[in-house]
Amino acid sequence: MDFGFTINAPRAIYLDKIDPTLRDKIIARERTTLLCIGCGSCTATCTTGQFTSFSLRKMQHLIRRGEYDTVRKSLQECMLCGKCRMVCPRGVHTRAVIHAMLEVL
Amino acid sequence: MHPGSPWFFDPFVLPFSIGVLWLFIAIVWKWSKWFAGLPREDKALIRHNFFTARTFRAIKEAFLECLIHRKIWKTNPMLGFMHMSLALGWFLLIVVGKLETSAYIRDAVNPPHVHVFFRYFFPEEPAAYIRHFNYALLMDCLLIFVLCGVALAWGKRLYSRMMGMKRTTRHTPFDRIALTTLWLIFPLRYLAESITCGVHDSGSFFTGGTGDLLASVLPGGVLSAMEYPAWWAYSIVLGLFFVAMPYSRYMHIFTEIPLIFLRAYKVKSKPEGSTFDNFQIQACSRCGICLDPCPIAADLDINNIQPAYFLRDRRYGHLTAQVADTCLMCGRCAQACPVGIDQATLRLSSRVAFARQSSFYEAPRYEFLASTADRSEGTGRVGYFAGCMTQLTPSITRAMEKIFAAARVDVWWADKNGGVCCGRPMRLSGNLPAAERMERYNTELFRKHGITTLVTGCPICYKTFTQEYKELQKMGIRVLHHTQYIAELIAGGRLKTSTLAASYAYHDPCELRGIYSEPRYVLSHVATLTNAESHEKDRVHCCGGSLANLTLDTAAQKKIGTTVVHNLLATGAETIVTSCPQCKKSLQLSAGNDQVHVVDIAEVVARAV
Repeated sequence: MDFGFTINAPRAIYLDKIDPTLRDKIIARERTTLLCIGCGSCTATCTTGQFTSFSLRKMQHLIRRGEYDTVRKSLQECMLCGKCRMVCPRGVHTRAVIHAMLEVL
Repeated sequence: MHPGSPWFFDPFVLPFSIGVLWLFIAIVWKWSKWFAGLPREDKALIRHNFFTARTFRAIKEAFLECLIHRKIWKTNPMLGFMHMSLALGWFLLIVVGKLETSAYIRDAVNPPHVHVFFRYFFPEEPAAYIRHFNYALLMDCLLIFVLCGVALAWGKRLYSRMMGMKRTTRHTPFDRIALTTLWLIFPLRYLAESITCGVHDSGSFFTGGTGDLLASVLPGGVLSAMEYPAWWAYSIVLGLFFVAMPYSRYMHIFTEIPLIFLRAYKVKSKPEGSTFDNFQIQACSRCGICLDPCPIAADLDINNIQPAYFLRDRRYGHLTAQVADTCLMCGRCAQACPVGIDQATLRLSSRVAFARQSSFYEAPRYEFLASTADRSEGTGRVGYFAGCMTQLTPSITRAMEKIFAAARVDVWWADKNGGVCCGRPMRLSGNLPAAERMERYNTELFRKHGITTLVTGCPICYKTFTQEYKELQKMGIRVLHHTQYIAELIAGGRLKTSTLAASYAYHDPCELRGIYSEPRYVLSHVATLTNAESHEKDRVHCCGGSLANLTLDTAAQKKIGTTVVHNLLATGAETIVTSCPQCKKSLQLSAGNDQVHVVDIAEVVARAV
């Protein structure tokens, strides 16, 4: 049966085992990334998001979990247009976050 | 050797001569390295334009800018006089001094130290010589002229506001050495010449008069004992200045000249960078005129990113990404710059250099675009490209729909159901290949639908389409911002409007720099405009939301916007009107959501239709 969505297979992330270096570098470069509450406004307005499953909200989570490889693949799709920044209710400088990711990862 | 020897030499000229030789070698080395490194097409441009009227125009500009400092005069007359008296005064001292020496020794060939230390070698002029042409009088006048500049420079250090400058540049150690020696050169010259004139009872009114005064105050032996050390001191200070010059901001004196010529030959800085950038970077004198117009300095008190500091950091190789990325690229500094340095492209090339270090720079981007379905709709020859920001402000698109319908224009909507970014935001971050990929996609889209006119809702897209999308011109597509398009509709009588009983203050977006008359024409047509007559140089002031900024946070952005809102409301308007969706959002954020309304020009016109 197709419900239009699927459920992710259960996974376990061992936060003690991830490499936090890159994550910390990104946070140091752009502190406002910590303000994110994961509301998904950025993803809802995203220009790239109209064409692919690109999601900044997801990337924020992946970075926190140290899943850099997935972010690297997805990061190249961002167009850096900045709509996400204008809708962010928390004032995350989303373009700077992406910019930091591009340089650090 | 004693003074007056036919060899015109004395050991005290050595510091000066070594300094001059060093400076000469440094300039030749730098210039030949930069010229040799120019891209082939730039060299072709120079060859092509060399024997044209451009060369004469460049000579004129070099005279007006390097010696008279015309643009600084326009900024502030006192500041202009200070720069002119130092530059033109010193230049004339050299030229007239050379003529004086050549006429006096009846030989045009003589080393530079002879005319620099003329008074030492020839302390007394014969009366017949003075009757022929009073060089001594002229040289004294010129010395006073230069000393006025030095005095003003001291005054500026104490109180820069008298020259209209709130902020002045913080100097590097080499700049301090060069500055100190520069400030000492002319007072020491004055002292040395006066002493010699006092000892020999010669010279014109200024140095001669001071010499007489010194001779009457001091015992004769003391004055003659002071003469030789005074000339040594003058020579050492000159030599030190020349040695420090290639490392200091004073390299601008000689770099601005080739820059003016290269610019006249249409050589430009490129986002990828070239050795031409060196001419621009070293032509910056760090005069500090760019500091006050910068909104980041004025509103946020961040004082290390303005062009003077950015170019300094880049020149000495300690530029950080933080400095390169903290800029709104609103262009206010470049407009104020008396040297006309293209700081936006230089900053972009620095950003490109940083972006190149990332592994993503050359990686293939946006492969999904190859299989993306065409989401555009409509069949008209007039295309409307809303752009990302207008998609976030749908009221502007709705207003444009109404205007197009009222003027009976058949429109092709490029991105009503979602489209690809124009690429400028990506470009401004330094990632050129990624921006070019978006450019290719959009160009193909426009080609496919065969439009002849492209109207954009966003000045950011407008700037990219006009400046970067080279193909559009070849395809014969006219690019207009909707401000220009509406102005054409009204002027052509295709759009009938009523007059609204409301007053508006218009905010000029940075990306629409230079397009000042169209929005004012449109607004005066449909409503009352409160700031129609503002000075052109004050018009563009970033709303704070610039996409060129990659570091400043929302609070900082809001602060910049608050200044803009305050200035606009001070004109007595009820509503702020702009022509950029990004400015609309930013200014609304700064104004607070309830108190002031910020609208787009299209919305105002749509109300009047």
